[in-house]
Amino acid sequence: MEEKEITVNIKKYNDKDGAFWKSYKLKADKYTQMTEVLRRIKSEQDPSLAYRASCHMAVCGSCSMKINGIPSLACRTIALQAVDEKNEINVESMDYYPGVRDLITDIDVFYDKMYKVMPRLIADESVLMGENEQRMTPENQTEVWKFQECIYCGLCVSACPSVKEDEQFLGPAAHAKGFRFVDDVRDTKRSERLDLLMDSAYRCTSCYMCYEVCPQDVQPVIAIKKTKNYLDQYKGNTPITIMARKHDDTVENLIETTGKIKESTLFLKTFGFGEAMRDAIDMLKSGKFKYAFEKDSNVKNMNEIKGMMGEKK
Amino acid sequence: MEKKEYDAVILGGGLAGLMAANIVAAAGFSVAVVSKVFPTRSHSAAAEGGIAAYMMGNSDPNDDPDFMSYDEVKGGDYLVDQDAAELLSKKSGEIVSLLDAWGAPFNRQPDGRIALRYFGGQTYPRTRFIADKTGMALLHTLFEHSTGFKNIEYYNEYYVLDIVKEGNNVNGLVAMEMKTLNPIYLKSRALLIASGGIGMMYKHTTNSYINTGDGQGIALRSGVALKDPEFVQFHPTGLYPSDILISEAARAEGAILKNNKGERFMAKYAPHKFDLAPRDIVSRSMTIEIREGRGFEGGYLGLDLRHLGKKYIMERLALAYDAAKNFSGVDASEEMIPVRPAQHYFMGGIDVDTTGTNHDLNGIFSAGESACVSVHGANRLGSNSLLETVVYGRETGNTMVEFLKTHKNVETNSNVEPIIDAAYAYIKRETGEHFGVLTEELRDIMWDNVGIFRDNDKLAEAVSKIKDLRVRAKSMYVTDKTSNYNTELFNALETRNMLDVAYTMATAALNRKETRGAHFRDDFPERDDKNWMKHTITYLAGDEVKISYKPVTYTRWKPEVRVY
Ligand SMILES: Cc1cc2nc3c(=O)[nH]c(=O)nc-3n(C[C@H](O)[C@H](O)[C@H](O)COP(=O)(O)OP(=O)(O)OC[C@H]3O[C@@H](n4cnc5c(N)ncnc54)[C@H](O)[C@@H]3O)c2cc1C
Ligand code: SF4
Ligand code: SF4
Ligand code: FES
Repeated sequence: MEEKEITVNIKKYNDKDGAFWKSYKLKADKYTQMTEVLRRIKSEQDPSLAYRASCHMAVCGSCSMKINGIPSLACRTIALQAVDEKNEINVESMDYYPGVRDLITDIDVFYDKMYKVMPRLIADESVLMGENEQRMTPENQTEVWKFQECIYCGLCVSACPSVKEDEQFLGPAAHAKGFRFVDDVRDTKRSERLDLLMDSAYRCTSCYMCYEVCPQDVQPVIAIKKTKNYLDQYKGNTPITIMARKHDDTVENLIETTGKIKESTLFLKTFGFGEAMRDAIDMLKSGKFKYAFEKDSNVKNMNEIKGMMGEKK
Repeated sequence: MEKKEYDAVILGGGLAGLMAANIVAAAGFSVAVVSKVFPTRSHSAAAEGGIAAYMMGNSDPNDDPDFMSYDEVKGGDYLVDQDAAELLSKKSGEIVSLLDAWGAPFNRQPDGRIALRYFGGQTYPRTRFIADKTGMALLHTLFEHSTGFKNIEYYNEYYVLDIVKEGNNVNGLVAMEMKTLNPIYLKSRALLIASGGIGMMYKHTTNSYINTGDGQGIALRSGVALKDPEFVQFHPTGLYPSDILISEAARAEGAILKNNKGERFMAKYAPHKFDLAPRDIVSRSMTIEIREGRGFEGGYLGLDLRHLGKKYIMERLALAYDAAKNFSGVDASEEMIPVRPAQHYFMGGIDVDTTGTNHDLNGIFSAGESACVSVHGANRLGSNSLLETVVYGRETGNTMVEFLKTHKNVETNSNVEPIIDAAYAYIKRETGEHFGVLTEELRDIMWDNVGIFRDNDKLAEAVSKIKDLRVRAKSMYVTDKTSNYNTELFNALETRNMLDVAYTMATAALNRKETRGAHFRDDFPERDDKNWMKHTITYLAGDEVKISYKPVTYTRWKPEVRVY
């Protein structure tokens, strides 16, 4: 099979020497995965190279790293598809997590967040005793499976801006995990789960980075949005969820009365006058304030919309 | 050196280890689970196709557990211990219900019950599945369930060096924190080895990089026997050239193997079961086709899914489709997937009975792929390995609970320094051979000489070459002198284990002068029930493999010719 010589630049790191780049040349064909590239560098050129890899088929979540700056699984990356025009590839460890050695990072902070969402099904006692069989529609299974497909690779958390800013935010993967149980008809602890998840859900900025980088297409941000749909069933109150309730009520109200979402009113009602003013000043500084004054008119087919709202209730 | 004491220590965070951990912890005992990778990264995650189970009221109306046991016994070419197979079938339904209760999201039928499909060697369909990532979903379920126990402590990314013995009793194990190379002595009276398979010692394997036979090597070094190590399964459909598994589910859902003439060649070798004949038969047939010039250039055959239609493929075989696409650039709805056989599973393993107990040492147990109970005999049927990990993981967990109730921890602390010194010696040495060279040579020898077709000459050559490698390995050295996540050291330690296990495998294969299941001898092409209906038992004593034999347990099925 046709082979090409490629140059792999790896950002190495150890406690003694700190971080430095090192280059390796080797041949690859159109099938060669980056995990195989690393394995060959290690076994033929630099035995000290440290990285994690196990399944080489994108199901174990070991080989997370940055390839050409993009958070990726090495085993899901074909070397010749990743090289630039000079046949070079840059490989470095994931952002956010502390570096341990070369491409290996310490992702304990990721696991800690996963543990926080009670990541296990609590079935009815009669089921655990074997007295009752659990049923689940194929549709419910598909929904649960979507969010269960997370392989604990940590890429989304390393890419998420909110996690870095906000200690209380559980992060994308933990939200996907947590919601997977909220949504599972076999589980008995929905309200406890909402207590764990609801406040944190509103700490997501909906930037969709997690959606972009997830190698399993888990779409954690969608799990977060779906969690918010349970706000009605959530019994607790935190400053953020109080605001969220106001926001939801206002949206509903606005649509009911005007047929559309008036951003300025929504803002004012959700965050209150003081907060709105502070934000308005920020907006003024950044030259965006004029949008707040853009006049919102009512839409024409209000009756239809009212009908729809009535139906919803 | 750090020392901690538990009631039970479990080597391995795969399905077998985690199932046992859950059971022992539920009985109130303290448990340490030691794994060289975070548990969800264990090889179990790679299992795709499914888990076999007869479920009462949710199986083919004509099926029953006896048919299932019969399939296992015949599939294993009558080297199966029939009591073990019967237990496996009998408990299969309840274990799937338990996994369901713990949250495993099995695919469903329209009425909400767990769905099922056919797998190779089954008389009736029994395989339960979770899309085509069954292993991953089950592994996560067991791991997540275990997070509910306060009395389970995880030692993730700790590499186990060796078992500790005091006289004839287990006294824990010694592991090394991989991040720092700090050793730790985990003391316990019960120890479970659930360390998985051996794939990396073969040049072509579907296994994870971490499957290096550590537990089997550790067992051999402590005087524990391996049973039937000559039996290695080669899976028919490794993706060419990466050897990533294309699950048997593909053929179960209707994919067909074709040679370069476009012929469905399995019709010739297995006129009733075709492409769904047991794996040993399909792998051999494929090798013959390739050998006789009916393969494609490079040495592979075609797996044809095209007639299934894109929609069906995406729904039921997404992983196979993605694998072909991502790793061979093939769109399976338009082209055939290039496949060839690759090492897949180790039927042999640590010699245990149906309770998971080994009788060489007091307090040692094994379950999962590292064990040989023997439910797979000379050849494993698809979907039965996941089943074995959870059924026997639970049985063994229960046995350990009983053991813990009647035994106390050994009072003395053993001297574990020699174990640690032996590991550090690789770093201290300034010259010698490098692990990479030895491993690559071993992988070639095992593939060429202890592979799908074997004979006296090949095997004798393998034994002598491995002997030689073991001598060279004594002067193996590690260039990386840091204690900062030194993966090179762990690769060297893995090489040591692979060599010890490979040595017993080649020797046992040389000794078995018959063909049975996956052990195919060109020079003895027939099964020989009169002389060879027995298990091989191997011990490693220094440079020598000691071989003895032990009868197979029969309950009701008499050997018959195995045709499919
Ligand atoms: C690609 C593929 C697909 C498969 N599909 C199926 C299927 O569809 N159905 C089926 O029934 N079977 C299938 N199998 C087989 C099945 O997946 C395995 O046999 C089974 O998962 C083994 O589980 P286990 O718990 O015994 O070991 P593993 O899951 O391999 O776990 C071993 C554990 O031991 C630990 N360990 C090992 N050595 C050390 C050490 N020195 N120190 C510390 N820890 C250590 C590892 O970290 C790991 O946690 C498949 C196998 C492959 C290769
Ligand atoms: S969408 Fe939310 S969870 Fe996802 S990366 Fe952005 S802030 Fe993080
Ligand atoms: S949600 Fe996706 S990116 Fe995040 S940890 Fe899970 S698999 Fe990785
Ligand atoms: S090696 Fe398992 S996800 Fe890449």
